[in-house]
Amino acid sequence: MGLEYVRISPGFEKYMPKDYVDLVQYGQFGRQIDVQQLGQFKELVEEHPMCAGCFMAYFIRVFYAALPNPEDTIVIGTAGCARLALSQAAVPFVYGNYGDTNAVASGLKRALTIRFPDKEKDVVVIAGDGGLIDIGFGMTMHSWFRREKFTTIMVDNEVYGNTGGQESGMSPKGVQLKMAPKGKQFDKINAVELAKTAGCVYVAKLAPTNPKRIAKTIRRAILAARHFGPTFIHAYTSCNIEYSIPTEKVLEDARKREKQDFGFYEWMTDEVKEYFEEIEKQSQEVKA
Amino acid sequence: MYYVAEVKESDCAKYNCKQCVLFCPEPNTLMFHDSKHTAWVNYSRCKGCAICVYVCSDLLKRNCIQMVMMTAGD
Ligand SMILES: Cc1ncc(C[n+]2csc(CCOP(=O)(O)OP(=O)(O)O)c2C)c(N)n1
Ligand code: SF4
Ligand code: SF4
Ligand code: SF4
Ligand SMILES: [Mg+2]
Repeated sequence: MGLEYVRISPGFEKYMPKDYVDLVQYGQFGRQIDVQQLGQFKELVEEHPMCAGCFMAYFIRVFYAALPNPEDTIVIGTAGCARLALSQAAVPFVYGNYGDTNAVASGLKRALTIRFPDKEKDVVVIAGDGGLIDIGFGMTMHSWFRREKFTTIMVDNEVYGNTGGQESGMSPKGVQLKMAPKGKQFDKINAVELAKTAGCVYVAKLAPTNPKRIAKTIRRAILAARHFGPTFIHAYTSCNIEYSIPTEKVLEDARKREKQDFGFYEWMTDEVKEYFEEIEKQSQEVKA
Repeated sequence: MYYVAEVKESDCAKYNCKQCVLFCPEPNTLMFHDSKHTAWVNYSRCKGCAICVYVCSDLLKRNCIQMVMMTAGD
């Protein structure tokens, strides 16, 4: 990782696949992209096998466009649908065993800090509701208790999507799924409050209805993790297959869920708030 | 046969809006042409979800993008 690994050695351009050449020439490496420029540059994430209309895939698309420093980022994922796209991006991807993502990320972030003391290396976990809050619950919590400096993003489709529709702790109470035929008996877990209690310094919840806001939230979570401690984003990313949402209605569904459980929410410590005020003031001074 | 989105470019160019491009779930698929000011679809990457049609027709009432059947090689 690092810009020098991304660039093509002189003379080799004609042997490289076109998609890679495009990535280096018209992509995000070494320059800041505004998410509003989507569709006008070569994106880091490539074709992948996630379902048509999947809004988890959409969130992942915006995630890559939002990275403050893709050439110095490592993404950790695991079993579940998200890895199908995360593994198809031009950003190093580590497949943590199911449930282990936050333990793997802890070790990796610590090792990177020792190996590159003068450089920012960002570590981001992206995993499902099952991976983070059910089966990986202990690892997730303990990485927060230990104040590990990386970002955790839960792509919450409120089901085990990849294995065909089991309920998760994040499925809403009463919902009937293929493998929860009687309807879920318990409430949806309040992941955001758990994250705050466990020591995260920046916590946000959102539905993917506004790409600019998703990007800003992701950048804030990554920047706060660099300097202060663990950060967490709880993103609603519907599974149109298991929830039988016609694909053309996926955005409408996200807008509806935003009005229910997923209204935009952002919380941070005073220290983090001061830091953002400072850097946002500086960037305004640069623009002026 | 594939089901893909197709932009009516001359209609779309009147608006210079780009909203559908910002909501397509697929990367490098629904693109925006800098100088023609129109969205366009990379047909071989489109998965036919029609979220772009929802954005353009249902939300914005602009009706500049529609779903069409396409044969491989078109
Ligand atoms: C240790 C272990 N247990 C179980 C599995 C099987 N498994 C694969 S994906 C998955 C559920 C995925 O649900 P979630 O984490 O919510 O991701 P989604 O597919 O919904 O995005 C399970 C149980 C596994 N791969 N490893
Ligand atoms: S099964 Fe659901 S979450 Fe997984 S790729 Fe398909 S729509 Fe997305
Ligand atoms: S939403 Fe409609 S008018 Fe706007 S860019 Fe897309 S196709 Fe064109
Ligand atoms: S139909 Fe879906 S995949 Fe195809 S261009 Fe429209 S939003 Fe993108
Ligand atoms: Mg899930």
